Amino acid sequence: MIEFVNIEKGFFGVKVLKGVSFAVKPGETVGLVGENGAGKSTLMNILGGNLQPDAGEMRLNGQPYTPRSPRDAEHARIAFIHQELNLFGNLSIAENLFIGGFPRSATWLPFIDRRKIRERTSELLRELQLPYGPDTLVERLSAGERQLVEIAKALAIDAKLIIFDEPTTSLTARETERLFAIMAKLRERGISMIYISHSLSDVLNLCDEIVVLRDGAVVGNAPASELPMERMIALMVGREITQLFPRRDTKPEEGIALDVRGVSQPSVARNITFQLRRGEVLGVAGLMGSGRSELARILFGLDPCAAGEIRLNGQLLNGLSPRERIQRGLAFLTEDRRMEGLCMEAAIADNAALVALPRFARGLFGFVSEKKSRAAVRNIREAVKLTPSARDAQPVKTLSGGNQQKVVLAKWLLNEPKVFIIDEPTRGIDVGAKHEVYRLINELAARGTGVLVISSEVEELIGICDRILVMRRGEIRDTVGASEFDRERILRAALHEGASV
Amino acid sequence: MTTTGSNPIGLRLLNQASLILFAVVLIIFGVLSPAFFQPTNAVNILIQTSSTGILAVGMTFVLLTAGVDLSVGSIMFVAAAVGGKLILGGWSLSATLVVMLAIGGLYGALNAVFITRLAIMAFIVTLATRYLGRGFGLRLTETRAMNLPESFYEFGAARILGLPLPVLIFAIVVVLAHLTLTRTPFGRQIYAVGADLDAARKAGINTRWILFLVYVICGFCAAVAGIVALSQAPAVSPGFGNNREFMAIAAAVLGGTSLFGGRGAVFPGTVLGAVLIQTIDNGLNILNVNPYLYPLITSGVIFIAVLLDAIRNRTLERLNRRRIFVEMAADQSAVKKSL
Amino acid sequence: MLSAASTTSTPAPRRINVVKRLFLSEYLVLGLCVVYFAVFTPFTPGFASWSNLQTILAYCLPILVVSVGLTLVLIVGGIDLSVTSIIALASVVGGKIMSADEGWLAGSAWAIPVGLFAMMAISAVVGAVNGAAITIGRIPAVIATLTTMMFVSGLAIWFTLSRKIGGLPSGFVMLGQNLWIVAAISGAAILLAHVALTKTLYGKWLYAIGHNPRAAIVSGVPVGRVTFFTYVFSGLFAGIAAILFTAGLETGNPEMARDNLLDVVGAVVIGGTSLYGGKGHVIGTVFGVLFLALVDNSLNLIGLNFYTIAMVKGGVILAAAFTDALRNRFMAGA
Repeated sequence: MIEFVNIEKGFFGVKVLKGVSFAVKPGETVGLVGENGAGKSTLMNILGGNLQPDAGEMRLNGQPYTPRSPRDAEHARIAFIHQELNLFGNLSIAENLFIGGFPRSATWLPFIDRRKIRERTSELLRELQLPYGPDTLVERLSAGERQLVEIAKALAIDAKLIIFDEPTTSLTARETERLFAIMAKLRERGISMIYISHSLSDVLNLCDEIVVLRDGAVVGNAPASELPMERMIALMVGREITQLFPRRDTKPEEGIALDVRGVSQPSVARNITFQLRRGEVLGVAGLMGSGRSELARILFGLDPCAAGEIRLNGQLLNGLSPRERIQRGLAFLTEDRRMEGLCMEAAIADNAALVALPRFARGLFGFVSEKKSRAAVRNIREAVKLTPSARDAQPVKTLSGGNQQKVVLAKWLLNEPKVFIIDEPTRGIDVGAKHEVYRLINELAARGTGVLVISSEVEELIGICDRILVMRRGEIRDTVGASEFDRERILRAALHEGASV
Repeated sequence: MTTTGSNPIGLRLLNQASLILFAVVLIIFGVLSPAFFQPTNAVNILIQTSSTGILAVGMTFVLLTAGVDLSVGSIMFVAAAVGGKLILGGWSLSATLVVMLAIGGLYGALNAVFITRLAIMAFIVTLATRYLGRGFGLRLTETRAMNLPESFYEFGAARILGLPLPVLIFAIVVVLAHLTLTRTPFGRQIYAVGADLDAARKAGINTRWILFLVYVICGFCAAVAGIVALSQAPAVSPGFGNNREFMAIAAAVLGGTSLFGGRGAVFPGTVLGAVLIQTIDNGLNILNVNPYLYPLITSGVIFIAVLLDAIRNRTLERLNRRRIFVEMAADQSAVKKSL
Repeated sequence: MLSAASTTSTPAPRRINVVKRLFLSEYLVLGLCVVYFAVFTPFTPGFASWSNLQTILAYCLPILVVSVGLTLVLIVGGIDLSVTSIIALASVVGGKIMSADEGWLAGSAWAIPVGLFAMMAISAVVGAVNGAAITIGRIPAVIATLTTMMFVSGLAIWFTLSRKIGGLPSGFVMLGQNLWIVAAISGAAILLAHVALTKTLYGKWLYAIGHNPRAAIVSGVPVGRVTFFTYVFSGLFAGIAAILFTAGLETGNPEMARDNLLDVVGAVVIGGTSLYGGKGHVIGTVFGVLFLALVDNSLNLIGLNFYTIAMVKGGVILAAAFTDALRNRFMAGA
């Protein structure tokens, strides 16, 4: 179907791709894995016509393929489904499908043939089992449904090759399953796919062939059956990571750090009660929409809490603003780094110092001591092992996802929290950075901080937690201790539908 | 529970905030003065609205792309100044009008070149060309007022199918703009560009071309607005069109067009906004209110409209947050059933 | 071959680097001012004279004070279109209180202190209304301040029935006519803003909110309060400018500074403050205002008509914006 032959590409003298070659056969699904910066996105940008290679060539069905723009890729029937969706919320589904080239009506007027796009859209929506009309505005759809609209878009141009770039990051478990089912259908229709993801188990399950990139070169290319997880990770990072989850030797202490009793909020959370001990890592499992992130927001004071008590080291937090809770030792790493975690345009140092700023301020007018704040930032960036090549004044947006996450951790650690709520600690970051994040969580626990980890990856929770709460529909349905950790039991508690459906 | 029950009704009212506000204004004036509801007065309001309305229609195109055009007042002025010179120099009315329209389009194209080719913010570009245009116009007119010949006035007083010409022009502009925005590929792509420029580019839309055309259309509309304004008061004063951009923006925003792009409509939105502003003026005039109070009352009404819109957005946000938890809603109904 | 080429070419890139660094530096606009001054001095009689420099300063300082207030608002990611109308309202309020002809406290010893206080108070109130509408009412800043602009300027005109108020007490007039006093007042205000912005918690918070208000809330920044007070400050700075203008022109004028609004915004943006928030500084604004004032003044001295000046000014704003756009492209490349 498509063949990459010795593709090379450099930016400002730095080689990002060093002669990449591999092929995707018709009807085949190829998994493309590698750490951030391995060259995956550069390669896909070349495939999509956003970048031109310095050397090498691509062949599409044996013919040379030299796309100059996204348009060319579209004409070659290649479609991309990105992590950040390219949809317009203010337009209807039908309009989104045809925005690049509307069919005109038969009259002399330059009008859109609305009946035609409606019919074609309805057809595609039926095929994907999306229960909406073609005129529904895209902003009314959930993240998973929007993903399906993107797939409909690919089908609308009759794509022969579809590239999925981290498609599951914002999907619920159920939506992910639906996506995978649809991918299986696409495969039956003979559509080739390239699947890029940090979720290696998904890659193993979905793909026929796996290509591993490291530092701009193909370091592994084998059928999925011949590449077990450990081997894949070893190839990606270039060394054997014996344990993705570092061991922790300390035990939770006796004292209770966070005491949550009967917290309820209409249609969000019901009667949530748990105790987080000092030095404990407590996991919260549950599907997206189970209320786990919403619980975190309630605990942090971002969302209202109608009933119940929240105490930190015995102090009542109810009614306090996030700012006052931070002053009492609460910290909160949000699931959405870009929107709520960082000021992307601002410098690393400014981001890292933001939470703890009042500590460096003196006097009535709040004069900030640059010296103290700079010294503190210097220490903390070493503690979180931020890449040494990053300058303090560099904007955060220039960092990789993993390093960005380290900056978010740094800004909270600088304030020496007593309880740290971490929502999706490793979303969209590569294996090496994941390891680092887990190590930091262990260190926090060893110092007596209570850590509440919310994650959609059950393996992750099993790997690092002392105890796991399972949430469903705004309630805690199960509490599992470390000795009884069992993936199946947790998933069952999270998924169980009961009689109400 | 009571809040969830009453919200949709409240929201339905809020959704129609502009319309309701409009109705309230009409009723107040109607009660206070019987002359207000005369058909002739309705036509009067439309005539008075037409110039600002056309300007606001052009502005809506620009606002939809998350841009702004601060130079429309100057465009009106330059077109009027050149037009005045030509017609006083013996040109025919129709030739003069064609030149005026061309000036509007070209002026818009000039803005567009700076914005799309040199990638300068629309705010700054149109601020600069606002000065350029005003200066050029003043130079042409030597800062004196120009009285235009009778032909201009007759043009404004003409009626076609019983409709005064300014109203007819306004109607044509609105219909064309509405069809363009809702029915043509170009129109829908304007909304896409306004919602997310990057995504639009990736979707293969020629974003530069769209942005270019939007400013040309805005300039063209400004010229039309200038012509319509002259047809009602055929004199070009040095302050002609000055600060009109604020009225145009206010009308569009009042009609629900977002300044952040991607949201809004010419009809009913902008038209309603423009008519509402003019209706207040007209009603106050009929009631013989102290003219000094006009801007206070007008801006007060605009403030209420904007506040209602903000409340509506917040309510929507709240409702949408609930909507995420489909499971919870099911739970509630289960609870209700069990009760 | 390759290495030889690279050794011979090293000096050239270094020289380019110096030019480039100057071009990219925050002081670009200051550089533009100096170049403009140097180029125009030989052709412009009296441009460099002490009395002319005084004229430039007297013109620029009040404008500068408003612009500095607006800079704070732009950094926090908002905009304040009501500043010039605040000047007009404060001007007539001051006039109504202090005027010997028609003032409520005409001739009283209390006239000046009460007048000054009232001018600042009314400015702060309008700023607070803006702040409340934006933070509590959650109305977009452009719309909220556009509405207050219409209302407040209407109020100023209604209040005086569009007449100017003369006969201001000499003690007050001195505040705006003695250049040293003007310089001291505005210098203090500007310095205050600069220090607040660069050295204090408030300033750091301002930038964080401008960059990403949601991240700021999560990080414990009191976003609502900081934003609210920024609009109050903007009002207060406009109030100071109103005092300087009113005293300098010896009239309370309901149309005062009416045509300066876009000038002020333009100057701030030329000075490197972004309309999208999170970026900008007081020094840049000082240079931006100075630059526009120099252009205005020199063209006046050459004896151009005011409409030609308007045109040239438009061209200069475009050129400055173009340089800035180029600069950003360079920075993105570097």
